[in-house]
Amino acid sequence: MAPSCFHCKTDRAVIIRPKNREKLCRKCFLRIFEAEVHETITSTSLFSPGERIAIGASGGKDSTVLASVLKTLNERHNYGLELCLLSIDEGIRGYRDDSLETVKRNAQQYNMPLEIVGYDELYGWTMDQVVAQVGKKGNCTYCGVFRRQALDRGAARLGIKHVVTGHNADDVAETVMMNLLRGDLPRLSRGTSIVTDSAASDIKRSKPLKYAYEKEIVLYAHHKQLDYFSTECIYSPEAFRGSARTLIKDLEKIRPSSILDIVRSGEDMAELVPSEVKKTSGAKSAEEPAIGGCGGNSSNGRARGGEMSEMENKLTGDEAALSRETEIKMPSDTTLKQKLIKTQVMGKCERCGYISSQKVCKACMLLEGLNRNRPKTAIEVGIDAEDEEGSSTLMRQMEQVQLGG
Amino acid sequence: MPAKDLSDPCMTCKEAESSVFVRKRHLCNDCYVQFVSHRVFKRMEKYRLLRGLPKTSPCKLLLPLSYGLSSSVLLRLLHHQIEDLRSKPHAPAGFTLDVIIIEPSTISPSSPPDNERFELFQKQFPLCTFTRVPFESIFDFVPDIHEVLSAYVGSNFTDDSSLSNKERLNAFRSSITTATSKADVDTTLMNRLIVAFAKKLDCLGVVWGDSDNRLAAKTLASAAKGRGASVTWQVADGMSPWGLEFIFPLRDLFQWELQSYANLMPELNHLIVADEKPSETTLTKNLSIDELMMRYVTNQGEKYPGIMSNVTRTANKLQSAEDRVGVPRYSATHANGLVPAPECLIFDVCQTMRT
Repeated sequence: MAPSCFHCKTDRAVIIRPKNREKLCRKCFLRIFEAEVHETITSTSLFSPGERIAIGASGGKDSTVLASVLKTLNERHNYGLELCLLSIDEGIRGYRDDSLETVKRNAQQYNMPLEIVGYDELYGWTMDQVVAQVGKKGNCTYCGVFRRQALDRGAARLGIKHVVTGHNADDVAETVMMNLLRGDLPRLSRGTSIVTDSAASDIKRSKPLKYAYEKEIVLYAHHKQLDYFSTECIYSPEAFRGSARTLIKDLEKIRPSSILDIVRSGEDMAELVPSEVKKTSGAKSAEEPAIGGCGGNSSNGRARGGEMSEMENKLTGDEAALSRETEIKMPSDTTLKQKLIKTQVMGKCERCGYISSQKVCKACMLLEGLNRNRPKTAIEVGIDAEDEEGSSTLMRQMEQVQLGG
Repeated sequence: MPAKDLSDPCMTCKEAESSVFVRKRHLCNDCYVQFVSHRVFKRMEKYRLLRGLPKTSPCKLLLPLSYGLSSSVLLRLLHHQIEDLRSKPHAPAGFTLDVIIIEPSTISPSSPPDNERFELFQKQFPLCTFTRVPFESIFDFVPDIHEVLSAYVGSNFTDDSSLSNKERLNAFRSSITTATSKADVDTTLMNRLIVAFAKKLDCLGVVWGDSDNRLAAKTLASAAKGRGASVTWQVADGMSPWGLEFIFPLRDLFQWELQSYANLMPELNHLIVADEKPSETTLTKNLSIDELMMRYVTNQGEKYPGIMSNVTRTANKLQSAEDRVGVPRYSATHANGLVPAPECLIFDVCQTMRT
């Protein structure tokens, strides 16, 4: 006879919880999963009553589960939230067009308004066009930088100051391991926090599923029969299964609690990052996406092989240079004092008005490179070749008015 | 005199044929030994020159020796430093080295008692004082271990204080089921024994033989076990929560570099007990987290050695906050309502004992 549920003792257990191997029935599993997300939300005072929240929705399992759970909890516990879906259309045919259909269906199922922000309307470039120009290698950098701004702009359009994303515990654990491997202390200090505020934007991001296991998210989606899209981005086939990701999957086999243990370690280690390193982190976060491609919450490989060998070469180079180092004394310490600290000052990008530490923001820099090399003969629907630079600038100026206003 | 005609001269002295290729440099045997010695020499500066320490008498350091590669090489290198210091007429007082060996046969029944090796080591390194203790002597050195065991109730363990120390310890150790917890409990117990011994001898610190790979693996494993905060003393040089300095002088050397060094010293090499190679066929889920991480660091380190040593350097940059260090917390296992892993219990009981 099949064992009965560990909790209610009445129904038949159909699920072995990946997190602690408890045998549960369907109803208890769904209830416990929701209760745990509720616990995360209340213990961190994530939301305030009446707050308007944009759910970054890709149509994938994480964001679909996030939308479903938030809707359920909002009704059950009277959070008083006004929820809506915010999707980014990167312009990847065969991937995003299909997943957007899922999001559109979700919007109806959950009765939430949906806003879609397209790369083409914001930047004048779809990812398909970017890839045609720069090739498959390195295109994730563009996508990541663009997405960060696009989410902010989309939220600004909706007049919303809080975007929630579907990052799960596996994602966070992976980030911790990645940052240890990359020696990236600033990111180690902020990667695990549930809310990422940044000096560069007045829109806060949070990840309510940060303690939820990827496997349990899949189970939740399955048992709740959610409608989600499960194809990975077609531009990441060359990205090998990230080193950190493999490691975490192995760890999970040995001790399922490892994932949460890593999240915990990450939180503790973040506290130990020297404060002078921490300071620079807030400003930077708005501009650079994490290395390793897709900054969204799809589960494709994050680290390309190239990045690891690039870094390896740099490190060996550094070490070789160290032996050639000579100590040079400064003539007097008065000159030293003047140059001592150059702090990062946040200003506005002079082209698009997005907040940036540089004169021109990263997205505009990337766009400049793209536009310079754009073949003059390119045929586009709706925009003449000559106007295209003007039109994307115009578009961005309009965005500025909205951001500023 | 005509220049020597060498096909592949050493890049440092240019006077001998190179034999080792290390960190993008071709070196001859002598220069390689120099290279390894120098990396450890730099790390010991504080204790050799007694920086910030009373200069009147040498400081006492304890070296735990497992007869394995790393600790044996470290012993050889530090012994050489002491020899060097003593040969100079006006040298600083420097440091003295006590060596502790936890008798391997009392840790694992697969290693036979080996008196000969113990004597050979003593003969080889006459300037150090050697002590050999059985694992169960932890009950004598760390009295509160009694309470830890009585307080620990595993599913198949109840402490029986009428048993001999040896039987009691073995009953406890064999009651732990998972490879990770087993390895963890053993390491924790051995560390406590070593620390207690160092305190008894009034040592200033402990010099650990962890190589770069080992430290990188330890960093990742600590993170995976929910004890990321402990890297500030488990991986970085400095004060440990036990009030002793922990020093890792081999932090700039990879395992294979230590092996090449040992290969050049036949008198040392034949004393070393080779590490048991973890079988490649072991299922991942049966490995301990430490083994998995060591395997990961070794495999990845072949291709990306720099990245692995960067992990160690990163861990070294974390700052220990005085009040936070040494307060290892329950792992998330406990937070999930699972039985607390035994190692947490040991830590926590110890914590209560201290406060």
